[in-house]
Amino acid sequence: MQEYIIDAKNMNEKELNRSIKEHAIKYKKLIIKNPQSNHNIAAGLTDEIEIEIDGSAGYFVGTMIDGPKIHIKRNAGWFAGDNMTDGELIIEGTAGDGAGQGIYGGTVVVKGDTGSRTGEIMKGGTVIIGGNSGFMTGLLMMGGRLIILGDVTDDAGESIMRGTIYVLGEVKSLGKNAQIEQSTLEDQKELKNILKKYGFEITDVDYTNFKKITNKSNKNLMW
Amino acid sequence: MCGIAGIIYKDKKTHNVGKSLTSMLESLQHRGPDSAGFAIYGGLNLPKNHYQLNIEVKNKPEILEKLKTTLKEESPIYKEKLIKSDEDYDVYRCEIKLNEYSKLKPLIRYLDEIEDIQVINGSHSFEMIKDIGKVKTIAKRYDVPKRIGTHGIGHTRFATESGIDRYHAHPYQSYITPDITVVHNGQITNYWKIRDPLERKGHVFESLNDTECIVHYIADKLHQGYKLEEALEDAVKDLDGPFSLLVGTPNGIGIAKDKLGLRPGVMAENDDIFAIASEEMSLQDVLDTDYVEQIAPGETRSYTI
Repeated sequence: MQEYIIDAKNMNEKELNRSIKEHAIKYKKLIIKNPQSNHNIAAGLTDEIEIEIDGSAGYFVGTMIDGPKIHIKRNAGWFAGDNMTDGELIIEGTAGDGAGQGIYGGTVVVKGDTGSRTGEIMKGGTVIIGGNSGFMTGLLMMGGRLIILGDVTDDAGESIMRGTIYVLGEVKSLGKNAQIEQSTLEDQKELKNILKKYGFEITDVDYTNFKKITNKSNKNLMW
Repeated sequence: MCGIAGIIYKDKKTHNVGKSLTSMLESLQHRGPDSAGFAIYGGLNLPKNHYQLNIEVKNKPEILEKLKTTLKEESPIYKEKLIKSDEDYDVYRCEIKLNEYSKLKPLIRYLDEIEDIQVINGSHSFEMIKDIGKVKTIAKRYDVPKRIGTHGIGHTRFATESGIDRYHAHPYQSYITPDITVVHNGQITNYWKIRDPLERKGHVFESLNDTECIVHYIADKLHQGYKLEEALEDAVKDLDGPFSLLVGTPNGIGIAKDKLGLRPGVMAENDDIFAIASEEMSLQDVLDTDYVEQIAPGETRSYTI
């Protein structure tokens, strides 16, 4: 069998994760029914497996994964994909604060809006937000690319050190050490490749409207 | 951590608010194991000038008798019930009548002077249920799922600065204006800056707990004529520290989140219900919706009926 269905209705988060780990080595795809916004779903999973979460996930979904492709049909809580090193986390709905926090690699896609501090301390990889992103988007960012198709609110790129934040919508204000400029043709080509891959249909004119936020200075901000 | 939850039914009619809040708080149990509480509005239906008192009493017959004798000096006891809480304490619930609202707080302070007695609250338009332990146990002990109302707020507590007892369980109530309650997840770091001017106005504090300070702050604003939304907006400006606070009034509920958004808060609504909670899993107990809104840093949301 290629697929296995886990019904999480009467499971606590430890039982659910135990079941995921037990079945991840035997199947190519796991479908989790009734996830009930449980926290830490698929935490630390390193198998090359597809996981479909048929509902919403709670905090730290996909934290520290290395390889799995996780697809959430509804929403996610705080810190989706935290510290992942490889793999894919796709969220059809909205996500809470800190989506893509500290990722080293892989891709986090949120189709709707996210809360505050999206992509904070991310070191690599890609985070794509289809909607708006909140306060201090890209806080202390150290690498990777953060792409926002909607608007970002105050203090975007607060204390950013490395990496790039691309924004199609409005930027309400920039944080310390952040600077904003128009994206280049090279940037737009790169954006087109990644956004098409994840099904975001925007016009060629839109691509020319992407702005990019980077760090002003390379100096260690703690000094 | 602490978990907060609130629900209001838009049709202004009574519903199974106790059942809804119990489910919502059970989902948030992992956020706080120490105590839990509910303020359920709109189902008490007390006559004018009647109040429900909840009083912690050491379970010795002579103490309860002393309490009743003292109470009867002020009012007949219309209804009463003794609820077993733990090995040492019971909760005595009774209905009394006072000439006017201003007599309620002095009576509570007077009763608190009796040894081995602590008044948990006194209310007219809402029912306060709070105790030590898990949501499920408390809900069963007080028959919460059968409580009806138009709206309510609730809390699961992870105790930090204050002790673990019935009084320090949330919701907290203020008597500055009738029937205002607050549940809270966070810490207020400019506590004395908020408390001092309230005390200079003559408002009485019973503890050093920051949630008590918040409820007096909000009640003072409402007493001055502020609308709930305006009081919440001022709370965001004036209070420092990480917090998500949820207010209950006789006709509404509302949330305020600190300027940096350091404590969680989500909301969802449909044609029938407006609900707020710390986490989405709590909303799912009362609403089936794809769209859950993250309350932004410094944002306030409220609904009144």
